[in-house]
Amino acid sequence: MSLLQRDRDIIVSNEYVDHFDFAEVEEFVKNASKDLFISHKFKTHKGKTLVQPRGGFPTYEKMFALYEQFKIAGVDVLPLTIDSHTRLNDYGSAAKMLRLSEESETDMLNGYPLINHGYRTTRKMMTHFNTPISLRHGTPDARLLVDMAIASGIFEIEGGPITYLLPYSKNFPLDKAFLYWKHVEKVCAKYSTLNEPINRESFGPLTATLVPPAITIVIQICEMLLSLEEGVKSFSVSFSQSGSVNQDIVTAAVIRKAARKYANKIGCEDATINLVYHQWMGAFPRDKDFSESLINTSTFIAAMVGADKIITKTRAEAFGIPTKEDNGKAVQNVQYTLKILKGLPNVVDPEEEENLTRCVDEIFEAIFNDPADTLWRKIFNSIKKGIIDVPFSPHIINANGVITVRDKDSNIRIYEKGNLPISEKSFQFERSKLNLGNDKKNIVNEIIKDIGVML
Amino acid sequence: MKVVTGVVGNDIHVVANRLIDISLQSRGFEVLNLGVNTYLEEFIDAVVEIDADILLISSLNGEAEGWCRDLLFMKQKYDLSKVIFIIGGNLSVGEASTEEIIPKYKEYGFDLVFHQVDLIEGLDEIENYVKENKK
Amino acid sequence: MLIDIGSTYFKVSTQNKISHFFRDFNKTIYDDLIYKTGDLLQKYNKDDIFICSSANGGLSTLIIGLTESFSLKYASNIAYNSGINIIESVLYQHIEDYAIPSDTIDVVIIVGAVNSVENVFDDKLLKYIKQVDYQNIVYVGSSSQNQYLSDNIDNLQLLGNIMSEKLKLQEENLKNYLTNLYQEDIMGKEDIKALYDITSNQIYSTPYIVNRSLPYIDTMLDVVDPFLVIDIGGATTDIHYSTDLVDDNILSENEYDRLVFKKLGVYKSRESLVFTAKNNEFVYELLAHLNTTENILEEYSDKATAILMQLAIFLVLYKVSHSHNKYLNIKLQTLNSMVLTGGITKVLSNNQIEDIVAFFYKKILNYTTYPKIVVDKNYAIWTIGMKQK
Repeated sequence: MSLLQRDRDIIVSNEYVDHFDFAEVEEFVKNASKDLFISHKFKTHKGKTLVQPRGGFPTYEKMFALYEQFKIAGVDVLPLTIDSHTRLNDYGSAAKMLRLSEESETDMLNGYPLINHGYRTTRKMMTHFNTPISLRHGTPDARLLVDMAIASGIFEIEGGPITYLLPYSKNFPLDKAFLYWKHVEKVCAKYSTLNEPINRESFGPLTATLVPPAITIVIQICEMLLSLEEGVKSFSVSFSQSGSVNQDIVTAAVIRKAARKYANKIGCEDATINLVYHQWMGAFPRDKDFSESLINTSTFIAAMVGADKIITKTRAEAFGIPTKEDNGKAVQNVQYTLKILKGLPNVVDPEEEENLTRCVDEIFEAIFNDPADTLWRKIFNSIKKGIIDVPFSPHIINANGVITVRDKDSNIRIYEKGNLPISEKSFQFERSKLNLGNDKKNIVNEIIKDIGVML
Repeated sequence: MKVVTGVVGNDIHVVANRLIDISLQSRGFEVLNLGVNTYLEEFIDAVVEIDADILLISSLNGEAEGWCRDLLFMKQKYDLSKVIFIIGGNLSVGEASTEEIIPKYKEYGFDLVFHQVDLIEGLDEIENYVKENKK
Repeated sequence: MLIDIGSTYFKVSTQNKISHFFRDFNKTIYDDLIYKTGDLLQKYNKDDIFICSSANGGLSTLIIGLTESFSLKYASNIAYNSGINIIESVLYQHIEDYAIPSDTIDVVIIVGAVNSVENVFDDKLLKYIKQVDYQNIVYVGSSSQNQYLSDNIDNLQLLGNIMSEKLKLQEENLKNYLTNLYQEDIMGKEDIKALYDITSNQIYSTPYIVNRSLPYIDTMLDVVDPFLVIDIGGATTDIHYSTDLVDDNILSENEYDRLVFKKLGVYKSRESLVFTAKNNEFVYELLAHLNTTENILEEYSDKATAILMQLAIFLVLYKVSHSHNKYLNIKLQTLNSMVLTGGITKVLSNNQIEDIVAFFYKKILNYTTYPKIVVDKNYAIWTIGMKQK
């Protein structure tokens, strides 16, 4: 028995898991309809931006009703958003809250407790709708979740050790997260040999607060490399709307080229790389009509950059969890906008692309130069040293040396570079776009404005 | 001037915390930022270890009262007489008025209390207070 | 040839055959070892003999620091992970209220304040220290005090601050020092010094050896992270746990941390173990579950030893659970594996161990299942640790 299987056997013998039948699950995946695989849909729908909303409710019934609404609205990919207790592996609390949610009419969880529902139940729903489903969570230790999800018919797993930890956690040990996610990659790679590939997707938005594209791209590619080196064959890199149309176009161009280049560098020429675009992940206006306009602009940008998938928001974003009706309507609107957007020009900004590419390469050079013997440890050490630094991360390991502000065209620029190993040339390029003088006290005012740029 | 800052209890308001950090640094303070989800004991202990001049606690979910009653007790554990204790943010869950809140928190042991005050305004006031106190 | 010198017996490993011998306390360790394994020793070069030790209950330290959350916590973390067994902590502000330790301390650690802070320590520290019987003394606090302390404390070693200006852990210097403590010129550790006649390799403390084996544990045992290792010995009970089992703000190099319960040993600390058991609210239910009465606690028999070991397992889990605030709060619900090692593996059967763990999980956590239990009967952990470079 392989070490991986030995580990999986122990992990599924959990209080809340009802006898996991590995052999049966493999049979299921082998014979599963191709329509459940997003990797397959990407291939057969080239040129179309797949539309995927977010959503998760605690009970099976509400989840089912949500999916019905989404299907009517013409969704391309269904989401399964996991609740916050499950993300912290606290299946006991999730169980309690699920029971309460089922008894009363109130949702006591902000997502679907997949472990408590189990894969047998969940699979019924997934196969019924015969549409690819994407697992959305925020879990540092997703080893049980990944087997459960795939067994349920969910063939896309979002997340990674960096993107699911740095934006949310204060002190979960990052080195452990790297090892736990290596397990996830191995499991996905294993299942990928049975039918169409399981798709992995890195969480691009990070803290969604003035994150410079160079850092977003480096982190996306890091998680991609850690996944591909385990044998995963289909990976989506992603980023969220920055607030500057040009910057999004440049980011998309650079991330596509860089991801391909670095994947080939580690011998993974045969891996498919997709691009996913998140609609605005920052503060939304309270005016719902304005919110719809905002959503429309991001759909336009997604079309401009030819994203393979778009993750949508709803007009009620400023007010909490949307109703299924709001959510369905948002999907319909986005599909409509995508449909009518024809004759989009091909916009290229060579100067910005060159600068961004240079920054990304400079950071990667420093990462690869780390003396550690495994890639994950090189990346881990780089985060510790501040070579990778995510603005507004609550994690104790994050260096917090980078400060960013917007220039007059709303591009996010690096104002203080902390320990980022970017050259003087790159740094001066960034600074040259800013006109802040030396009044450091004013910087915070600028940052506050820049964060609330859509309000 | 050394400042220890952070967000108390089970708050996850990272952005506000980081903005306070950057603001204080830009005004020339030396900042030790303990981040979000910090406990009162950690704040006090950090003040002791770095010999801080100021402790600035943010509380943004209106539940500060639950834990900060312990402040007076903690102040007795060490000699913190020269430290300026400041609390800011959203300090109540209900509709309590600023006139009620400020004296209450001063009784808990805080020298300056900011309830729903703008960041820049609050920091200006802190700078003035510090200047006054130096005299 | 690998040799472990414990507080109750020697463990010897050759060509993957492991044997152990009870120690004869009327002889020195050197004489005892030669007497019991002399023939074996002849067959090996000094280069090929490796020794580790937790003799006499292991190394002890007294830590004098400024605060619980930082200086004391950081120094304790480094000390436990370097193989120190006994830690006494003193909060400097109230140093006059602390009793002077009665036993000899292997190393006193003075810690506190970041480098830019001045006037941290004064006379009352010196007064206290003068009354302590110690072998070594080190300073790992604010560098501003280096001169003052060096001038007033003989043989004080300055190792550099373990806290940065931003209160981040800087463990290298103290960690190396404590790890190498047996190698340092220690007066009074004649027992250990004599062993350097047998081996030309450095002698480390046993807990340090065990700690460094943990990242490789899954190569020899069916263990999955996050896990807990419980080592119930004659003098103390050690636990090693994955760092993601606790909610801690220390950024250290360790994937696993260690904690020692000095009152939970089954031989040397038997009395304190019995005392702790009697004071636990679940002890009677526990004894009833084990089909015995509290009279067993006064007995000195094999059966009584087995019962005590089972009690020790329950008590250590209890102390690190949410029911008990004094120590650590380990997320026992997320444990995937639990490893039992040490003398206990020669006394209790797998069933007996599983039984008590199941009882704990049911009674305290309300779980019908419990983590996968591995009993390290063949000292795999120790072997892995000894073989690491």
